[in-house]
Amino acid sequence: MFKGFYTVATGMVSQQRKTEIITNNMANANTPGFKSDQSTIRSFPDMLLSAKGKTNIPTENKLSIPQINQIGSINTGVYLQETLANFTQGSIYGTSQKTDVALINGAMPTDEQSGQVGTIFFRLQHPNGGEAYTRNGNFTLDGEGYLVNGQGLYVLSAEGERIHLQNDEFNFTQEGNILVNDELVASLGVSFSANPDTLVKQDNGLYRTIDGTNLPSAIGQEGVSFSMKQSYLEGSNVDSAQSMTDLLTAYRAFEANQKVLQAYDKSMDKAVNEIGRV
Amino acid sequence: MLRTMITATNTLGQLQSQIDTISNNIANSNTAGYKAKEGTFSELLYQQFNNDQLDTTVRNSPVGIRYGVGAYLGQIQTNFAQGSLQSTDRDLDLAFTKEKQYFNILMPDGENGIRTVYSRQGDFYVTPVENGQVMLVNSDGYAVADSDGNAIYFPDNVSNFSVSNDGILGVNYPDGDKLTFELGITELKTPQVMEHVSDTYLGLPTNVNELGYNEADILVDIQGAARNEIGMTNKSLEISNVDLSTEMSNLINAQRNYQFNSRAISIADQMLGLINGIR
Repeated sequence: MFKGFYTVATGMVSQQRKTEIITNNMANANTPGFKSDQSTIRSFPDMLLSAKGKTNIPTENKLSIPQINQIGSINTGVYLQETLANFTQGSIYGTSQKTDVALINGAMPTDEQSGQVGTIFFRLQHPNGGEAYTRNGNFTLDGEGYLVNGQGLYVLSAEGERIHLQNDEFNFTQEGNILVNDELVASLGVSFSANPDTLVKQDNGLYRTIDGTNLPSAIGQEGVSFSMKQSYLEGSNVDSAQSMTDLLTAYRAFEANQKVLQAYDKSMDKAVNEIGRV
Repeated sequence: MLRTMITATNTLGQLQSQIDTISNNIANSNTAGYKAKEGTFSELLYQQFNNDQLDTTVRNSPVGIRYGVGAYLGQIQTNFAQGSLQSTDRDLDLAFTKEKQYFNILMPDGENGIRTVYSRQGDFYVTPVENGQVMLVNSDGYAVADSDGNAIYFPDNVSNFSVSNDGILGVNYPDGDKLTFELGITELKTPQVMEHVSDTYLGLPTNVNELGYNEADILVDIQGAARNEIGMTNKSLEISNVDLSTEMSNLINAQRNYQFNSRAISIADQMLGLINGIR
């Protein structure tokens, strides 16, 4: 069978995955704190092709020696290797809720090994233990007066404690301190990830570390600066025009693969139905 | 291929709900005491695909790929900010000048008798009861409670009503007599926990204890000296705090997003068509 027959099939599958990811980005174009996913497509590992042949040496007995000629390497397909979130700052917009807070990146250090720019997150207490991190500052107060996110996960303070507030008459300062009647109650916990690509993205805008360890606090971290703004949210950083273009590009790439598949089918048609005809 | 479609349809349904919320706000932009609602989106489940188990390339991200299946309305929050006051020149039109304070309304609740609900809508009326008495009611005919939680009765042929800043209703008669009633006023500490009963009425959720909440944390009945904290005026109504320009821009945004996702469905459909068209 033709090798390329399966190669185009993998091409179709990976373009399909790509459209799925882009659709999810577009669906979350209005989700606060959403970081758009970028995908990398990678070819299958190299495969070395060789031609098996023999060399005839013109001696008396017609000696022939088997010989292998290397042709070169080919890749027999592609797959979607990585989904990486783009952690650039989203634009901030005003809301009417005092419990909304936008996290604004200041200077962030670059990881020397990976070249990744670090980023910061709000700290949440995960129900399965450990911490979860989010950029979505759409918080609220539960009936007991704890600051929680939209799904009821407790927002943690800089000391890693739950934040108890009597009502929404409080102010966030730029540094993340929570003031009630000008008195400091707690300060919002902010965690720093030097290499955010290592985090696992989950539903509701949560990020978790793969081994369950907690990220270090961003407060006092060298080279990290940030600010907060109350009654503002960070919008998603999905670029709708870019997403639409990517979607159409992926669609056309899918179509091109389909055309090649048809071409292979025609070749096979010829091989099966015409070559053998008498 | 269906995942593209599923993602887009999931989101379409939720966007529809957001548009519903916005249109309800716009519809109530002239309702006295109405508080605007804001819907915020959140991400739906993420799924992990381990599609590269043999891949040993060095990479930053954890093994496999993860992607989500759309967005949903994570929270619908009410904006409890004070609405502006509209002067009506009617004695029994009462308005709060401070946030989070509510009238106690005695709402008939079928077999359970009476349920106390909370509203900021202050266009009150009187309705005749027995023996030439009248009762203070709101526009739905439900009794307005005094600070002891009872309905307010007084004799008819009133000349006018007055309201003091701390929520005391004065009923004046032509012969110079004056009756005073302390209106029942409750401060909702965390109004977002309240159940939206109907119209502009909020009620304590019936399962408040099951939810693990303490009633005292949620609402405070304002009594005695604390009544100085009340801010009330009459001859005006608190109009809704809906900001039409914000609502309109949110509507346009939601509608464009809706188109966006519909487009994703049609592209997914064309891709399915391509698969069918392979042969």
